Amino acid sequence: MNEFVETLLDLPWQTGEPKSSYDVVIIGAGGHGLATAYYLATRHGITNVCVLDSNFIGAGNSGRNTTIIRSNYGIPESVRFYQRSLEMYQTLEDETGCWIMHNQKGQIWMAHSVSTARTEQTRALMNQACGAKTDYIGPDEIKQLCPQIDLTGGGRYPVYGASYHHEGATARHDRVVWAYAQGALRAGVHVFQHTPVTGLLKDGDRVVGVQTPRGNIAAGTVISAVGGDVTTVANWAGVRLPIRTHALQAFVTNAYAQEFAPIVSSNDLVFYVSQTPRGQMLIGAEYDRFASYRQATSFSYLQACSKKSITMFPFLAKLRILRSWTGICDVSTDFSPIIGHTGVDGFMITTGWGTWGFKAIPAGGSQLAELVATGSATLIEPFGLQRFAHEAAMADPSSAGTR
Amino acid sequence: MSRVVYDGTPIEYEEGDSLALAALRAGQHPARGGTLCMAGDCGNCVAIVDGTPWVRTCQTDARPGIVVRRHPNGSHPSPGGPEQHTSVTVRHRTADHVVVGHGESGAAAAAALRAEGHDVTVFDAADGDEVVGVFDGPSVIVRRADGIDHFHVHHITLATGAAEVQPVCPGNLLAGIYTPKAAAVAIAAGIDLGTVVTVGHDVKAFHGEGRVSEVEFRDGTRVACDSVIADLGSAPRDVLARMAPLVPVEVVGPAAQAHPLPPVAEEGVLCPCGKITVEDLQGVWDKGFRDLELVKRASLCGVGTCQGGVCMPHLRSFVADRSGVEPKPFTGRPAARQVTLAEAAAGYHIDTFRRTPLHAEHEALGANLDKFGGWFRPWNYGDPIAEYWAVREGVSLGDVSTLGKMLVSGPDVVEALERLYPNHVHDIKVGRSRYVINLNERGHVLDDGMICREGDTRFLLTFTSGGASTAEMWVRDWVETWGLKVHVLDRTVSHGAINVTGPLAGELLRRAGVADDDRPKFLQHRHVTVAGVPCHIMRLSFTGEASYELHHQIDRSVELWQALMELGRPLGIKPHGLQALFGLRLEKGHVIVGQDTELDSSPRRINMDWAVKMEKADFLGREALARTANLPDERRLFGFTMDGPAPLEGSVIRVDGDVVGHVTSSWDSPMYGHAVLLGWQKRLPHADVVEIDGREARVSPVPFYDKEGARARM
Repeated sequence: MNEFVETLLDLPWQTGEPKSSYDVVIIGAGGHGLATAYYLATRHGITNVCVLDSNFIGAGNSGRNTTIIRSNYGIPESVRFYQRSLEMYQTLEDETGCWIMHNQKGQIWMAHSVSTARTEQTRALMNQACGAKTDYIGPDEIKQLCPQIDLTGGGRYPVYGASYHHEGATARHDRVVWAYAQGALRAGVHVFQHTPVTGLLKDGDRVVGVQTPRGNIAAGTVISAVGGDVTTVANWAGVRLPIRTHALQAFVTNAYAQEFAPIVSSNDLVFYVSQTPRGQMLIGAEYDRFASYRQATSFSYLQACSKKSITMFPFLAKLRILRSWTGICDVSTDFSPIIGHTGVDGFMITTGWGTWGFKAIPAGGSQLAELVATGSATLIEPFGLQRFAHEAAMADPSSAGTR
Repeated sequence: MSRVVYDGTPIEYEEGDSLALAALRAGQHPARGGTLCMAGDCGNCVAIVDGTPWVRTCQTDARPGIVVRRHPNGSHPSPGGPEQHTSVTVRHRTADHVVVGHGESGAAAAAALRAEGHDVTVFDAADGDEVVGVFDGPSVIVRRADGIDHFHVHHITLATGAAEVQPVCPGNLLAGIYTPKAAAVAIAAGIDLGTVVTVGHDVKAFHGEGRVSEVEFRDGTRVACDSVIADLGSAPRDVLARMAPLVPVEVVGPAAQAHPLPPVAEEGVLCPCGKITVEDLQGVWDKGFRDLELVKRASLCGVGTCQGGVCMPHLRSFVADRSGVEPKPFTGRPAARQVTLAEAAAGYHIDTFRRTPLHAEHEALGANLDKFGGWFRPWNYGDPIAEYWAVREGVSLGDVSTLGKMLVSGPDVVEALERLYPNHVHDIKVGRSRYVINLNERGHVLDDGMICREGDTRFLLTFTSGGASTAEMWVRDWVETWGLKVHVLDRTVSHGAINVTGPLAGELLRRAGVADDDRPKFLQHRHVTVAGVPCHIMRLSFTGEASYELHHQIDRSVELWQALMELGRPLGIKPHGLQALFGLRLEKGHVIVGQDTELDSSPRRINMDWAVKMEKADFLGREALARTANLPDERRLFGFTMDGPAPLEGSVIRVDGDVVGHVTSSWDSPMYGHAVLLGWQKRLPHADVVEIDGREARVSPVPFYDKEGARARM
């Protein structure tokens, strides 16, 4: 057996059909849903939990992202939240016993103009103040970290400097999902694949369970951890979300020898590139401008990303594109997550994960579990749905709209 | 005979040979072993061709001088060293019908379509036309020998046929194993395969050192051989059909037919790309990964360079056997045939940064040009402090051609502007102007600028340089939504603007032929000829000094600029760049939307309630402002002063050690000898003294400079 297979842990599936009632039913067995279940069971002793998914575990955005872990956000609330997540990722292998291929690579976020240099400098200063390790570095240091770069940017995009996020990392997306799945299952959580939730059960205004083709399931609390169709699910509960859904594409090349160490992003050109542990060059950019639920890719995206990335990294010109894919991102009006109570009793939500959901899985899951179990969770308090009514948006200028 | 260099050794080929065929002709496997399909379906013949790794040698014609290297044994090829950009030809084409594949089914489909009078274009990988993918449009991207074709089509017919199933058993990575069609290609090319044994599903293993030399059958018999033809049936070659479920494609022939899955493999490498074995699949299955997608993701079978071309039938057969249900194949993902990034990028142009009509003037003056809001603009001309003093004490020119400039007119224009802006518009007199902000529906500041009234139903609007393009969409969208009769003419790029600013600005205009009576007073605007150039002069002030914005047609920009520079020489004129401008305006406390504001900055948060007239019946953002007016609002932009040096922009602002915000603008004021700042406090109560960069800073009322605004009116 190869190493990749050998190191997988068993998924100890429950047997039989879903019970008629659980303390907590979670819709969506992606990273966030499974992590929430895992932490409910392992941190708070709440094991009478069921996670339902219309597809296989991790079929949605958890398995369709670019696997980046970072905390270099622009507002204190975000930096602290994502730093917690980043640190939890660093110990997730030890905790779960699952090899998630965690790899600390550092992230270089390049600036090609005075104004974006200011943005990156601002990012570094705010990060340092809030516990994330980010420095502003010059072209020479960038070249040392990433010798393949063309510092002139093809003559048009000279590199002024960059913020360097020392603890930026990647991990294998699927294996993160499986780490939480196996941990949750082992702790007694039920996880049912191919079991779509088709509606919510209500008692007056209160949500009391879910409908599925395998029967109704009662729940003390229903949590939507859905990606993509979240507005539909929320609508069943009568909750309107300030969410628009967009497609985010990315692609990988064939596999090459490991020669490209960091994650490199460009603020002005808007793309990023890293090399996966399997040797593929992974390239992404921002989500499609128009709203869509489709997981189709477009050639114009490959075209634009290819051009931008070879402008900074000429060696990429000869590499061959292997596969592109698309995830469906729920983007809130302030580009921050929406997590916690919804104003409807019995119905909670974790959404608005835009293009930053993967990196948030450990902190998002643990904090939501804490909120369910104890009634409060400090790090996600600023990210409640109520903030929009209270004019307390978590608008993050340095993550706005991308990545 | 011509020659190619294969792993350092010249080998001879015949006209029409692919590189793989040339290798076979030389008695070599084109890669390091594995069944050959010679049809581009598998990854068993990939090599580094002229420096590009992962090229299917069976799909690449041999040419004189081509250099081929095998991938390193047991590791991945290096992405290579310094590269030269090779230009790739890209063509945009249209076609009524595209048929992919000109085998039996493709030829029939094409003939039928032509008989109906359709214009039909046919591609086949065998001719070197590899279809990369089908996309929305519908469009078809084709990689051809001489470039990339982007075909925009009405109908797509996929007649890609079937791929031959490859053997999965011990020894299947040896050289000398062929599918029947691959063997036919080799034999047709006159290559001697030696003693050939043809096997079916009765094969148990292949034996040999590097090359197959013996076949072992299930019944225990062993047969010596030089080559093996593995005749195992076929599977639909339908990756394109599985790629875009909403693109209307018609699939015909073997690609559309159900093919029986091969018997479940028991041993050996099932996915040659990733060297994934049957044992690996069993491993993931036993661990609970029991779904085609989970088996694929857990084993990584099917995600190699052939995208499941070899392993898919065996993988499906495995899952069908273990689960009792035949699984659907997984979604096809572009690229079906691979392209390099250079090939994909062909024809794409990164947005250019625009240059103002005065770009060459700035360069001649030694300006450091930088990119702001989509434009190249002078950051400084070498000495921003001297530029600052020229504005404060003398006269200076600034190139503000980048400002958004929009002429709006029509019977409903006042109504439209009253709805678009939170300030009053109807009471602006002709010849007068007013500073305004734009709000979005959430009551957050989008942009700012001026409204100049030119007539009862004619206004000139200005917007920030970075906000201009959004503003045009914004105005047009709303006017159309409201159904108002308003003409919108964006003049951002047709008109230039030069800001003449400083206490001697009036004197310079006088020298440029503008009579004192013709010179507009503060917040007036007027059409006047300046140095022979017709200008629309707007009197306002961003710098804090008397300022005249000379708007004019761009074909006169250079002439106007040069005349003013020349006339201003005795006055000590110096142009100023953005660096000085940002400091000048900061001393006046003017915010830069986007730098000092955030995505959710309401007027209240940036101390601009005065620019909002809630007594108006309606305007964009009013409802949101009314709803939120009485909410406690802790976030506010403040002016600060502190001893120099000025802290970096972005420095955090602390109160009692806690981060309460950050510095948005920072400047060592030459006038005051200390730093002046703008920055956020986002926690109540707001403090009068804060800590920035480890030092003390004090809240200060803004403007820092000329509180009465007397100098702008000079």
